[in-house]
Amino acid sequence: MNHRNTAAFFRVEGIVLGRGVLAASAYIAANAKKFGERALRLGLVALAAPVHSFLGQTDRALAHRLVHLAFRGMSEDRVAILSEEYAEDILKGKILDQGVELMKRAQAEGHRVVLLSEGIASIMKPLAQHLRHHDDLLCNHLEFRDGEATGRLLEPIIGAASGGRWLQHYASEHDIDLAHSVAYGSHGPDMLLLAGVGKPCAVNPDFVLRRSARDADWPIIEYRD
Amino acid sequence: MQPALSIQHTFAGRNVLLTGASGFLGKVWLAMVLHRVPTIGKIYVLLRPKALRSALDRFERMLASSPAFKPLHDLHGAAMGEFIASRVEVVEGDVSLPEFGLKDPEQAARLHRDLDLIVNCAGLVDFDPDLREALSTNVDGARNAAAFTARCARARLLHVSTCYVTGLRQGTVEESLDPGYSPSGDPFDVEAEHADVTAAAAQIVAAHDSPAAEAAALEETLTQMRSKGQDPANAMLLRNVLRRVKRQRLKDELINEGQRRAKQYGWHNIYTYSKSMAEAVIARMLPADRWSMFRPAIVESAAEYPFPGWNQGFNTCTPLIYLLGGWFRHLPARIGNPFDVIPVDYVCRGLVVAGASLLLGRHSPVYQCGSSDRNLLTIDRAIELTALAHRKHLRNHGDTALERVVLSRWDAITTDIDHLLSVPNIRSAAEGLRDWLRDVKAPKFMRTTLDEWADKTDDALDTVDTIDKMVDLYQPFVHDNHYIFVSQALFVAEVVEPEFRCDPRSIDWRSYWVDTHVPGLRKWCFPLFENKTPPGYTPPHPFKLPRTGPQPSTTGPQPTRLEPRSAHTDSGRTILGVSASVTSSSASRAEVL
Repeated sequence: MNHRNTAAFFRVEGIVLGRGVLAASAYIAANAKKFGERALRLGLVALAAPVHSFLGQTDRALAHRLVHLAFRGMSEDRVAILSEEYAEDILKGKILDQGVELMKRAQAEGHRVVLLSEGIASIMKPLAQHLRHHDDLLCNHLEFRDGEATGRLLEPIIGAASGGRWLQHYASEHDIDLAHSVAYGSHGPDMLLLAGVGKPCAVNPDFVLRRSARDADWPIIEYRD
Repeated sequence: MQPALSIQHTFAGRNVLLTGASGFLGKVWLAMVLHRVPTIGKIYVLLRPKALRSALDRFERMLASSPAFKPLHDLHGAAMGEFIASRVEVVEGDVSLPEFGLKDPEQAARLHRDLDLIVNCAGLVDFDPDLREALSTNVDGARNAAAFTARCARARLLHVSTCYVTGLRQGTVEESLDPGYSPSGDPFDVEAEHADVTAAAAQIVAAHDSPAAEAAALEETLTQMRSKGQDPANAMLLRNVLRRVKRQRLKDELINEGQRRAKQYGWHNIYTYSKSMAEAVIARMLPADRWSMFRPAIVESAAEYPFPGWNQGFNTCTPLIYLLGGWFRHLPARIGNPFDVIPVDYVCRGLVVAGASLLLGRHSPVYQCGSSDRNLLTIDRAIELTALAHRKHLRNHGDTALERVVLSRWDAITTDIDHLLSVPNIRSAAEGLRDWLRDVKAPKFMRTTLDEWADKTDDALDTVDTIDKMVDLYQPFVHDNHYIFVSQALFVAEVVEPEFRCDPRSIDWRSYWVDTHVPGLRKWCFPLFENKTPPGYTPPHPFKLPRTGPQPSTTGPQPTRLEPRSAHTDSGRTILGVSASVTSSSASRAEVL
């Protein structure tokens, strides 16, 4: 058997990284060009927070769309540089060692390690250099037109409940045997992903995923500090 | 599309005379050609003697200490001296003098016989210099270069000018040259204008020695000394201050006259006025097959050669970028206006390509080397990138917590000219505050404190004035005029050697600005604003030219004109720059080469 035809899918937020999308968006919004603009954009992120908390239990697409509206009209330069700064100065210190261990182990077992992140590419790509033990990174992408963010996220949105549907497509594209593949999820919207592989695992699950994991008898991993 | 152009093949065995080698552009060009065109014949480097140093000494010192030659030192190591001696001959002379001031007729005859190409990089790059110096270096220098070329058996002249000779106008600027051009559209006869402006300058100099002018200068001197608490009875001090005042008054009058003439015909400043005259002079003196104009736009830090970020002196838009790293935040600029920056190594590659085309007789009369036509950078984007680059530095390397936490987030922005926080408005508020502090009725114990605050406000007003001058200086380029410089002539033939391709589409502005250009300025140029010395360079092997061969004359040429001061290329560069400290009073100086 080819050692590359199984994969280990990792949801980044909550498993490999201790910070989520809201914090990243707030950071970028708070560093917009003008002072008034900063307040306005932060306000938008604040508005998206409850949507993220409540509606995002099963599907975070709306929350992600709302929160990234705060980027609308920001220059691609600013988003890129602030993202890199956020990844280097803040997120790098929030990498969870236990998550990295899981990735390392999965890679040692011969799985193709695929990271799934709700974060945007400009943040996740510089961060991925520090995560190392992975083969692929799938994350969200902001739309830019004429050098400015439109505030829209490009499809498919990672974090949406429908996000698991691309799994079949990804598996056929990379010749992956899903029945022998592993997935690590931590939030409600990861259920489709976990249900799609032979070896699902919930890591530090939120309320929704914990309940489903128990019902489906999926293993649950809890990190200890 | 023309047949492919091979730089190595074209320059093989060709002899080139370079002027302005001590300037930013000249140095990088020389280093690049010596490094990348090993097949070239001889490069004759024309240098002036300066400050009791012979041209040869200056050249040797330049190669031994300028970081621009680091790649060459790295390549040749201990054999650098022999390599340079085999490729370069230093010629002591001065572009502002007829026949370049060469003293040795045999040397002149040899150059006339052997030269294939003259690259004239020499130029006075201050925006508003003493009118006589601008005419001497830029116009007479071009005239002398053209005359020298005409006397050569086969040499052709590649003259470095600037895109901004187009003056105050809007829109697309084609690669063309009209010797009778003036931006205002008024008829312009360069010879008549040259005679006229020379006479005007002479008249100002003569009037400067009149009894009335002497009396006015003395009056100003006394006022100045009294305001500084100096004793006018001190004869030596009085004489010294008077001399300085007279010199400054003369310079101011000459600058005013130059600015008046430049503005009258529609140029931004004395620099672009004199450079345009230089183009016209060459076009009139030489047949079309003997010359090309090379017009760079705003020449900035190296992208790659000699190494990323290399820069020199008070150049180009350095003062503006320095200014935007402080508390000054609202820069008047028109959103969407092109900011036509081009890295110096791209310019040097373009200069090599234009030179090769000229050698082959496949040349265009004008080569514009900018980025606005092919990879547009707008002024608002440049300002935002500047703010982000400062942020990146200050967050980690700010001297104080205030810099690290607040100033790093104090982004500069583009504003309208009449913004509430525009410089004139800030000045008027500060003046109001100062007057109030001085006039307010306050108890005696508070008076001293209020006076101290008023003095501090006065100091702040000096800074505001400097900023105001600088903003004024840049206004035509970042606010008033919208230029797109067509840059096509450099790309009509594919260049065989990739290291000489100069298409600005390969520039990633974000990475260049934030990771290369601004850090380069911070390292090489900002220290000069802070009265510090930029890092020095010492080659791994001490550099010395072998002294066995024939040496150029160590006696300087004899100046034959009124003003021997000439060809200032040490910080030389073409474009938008203020060659002055932000905190000094000479913020009206800027450079363009």
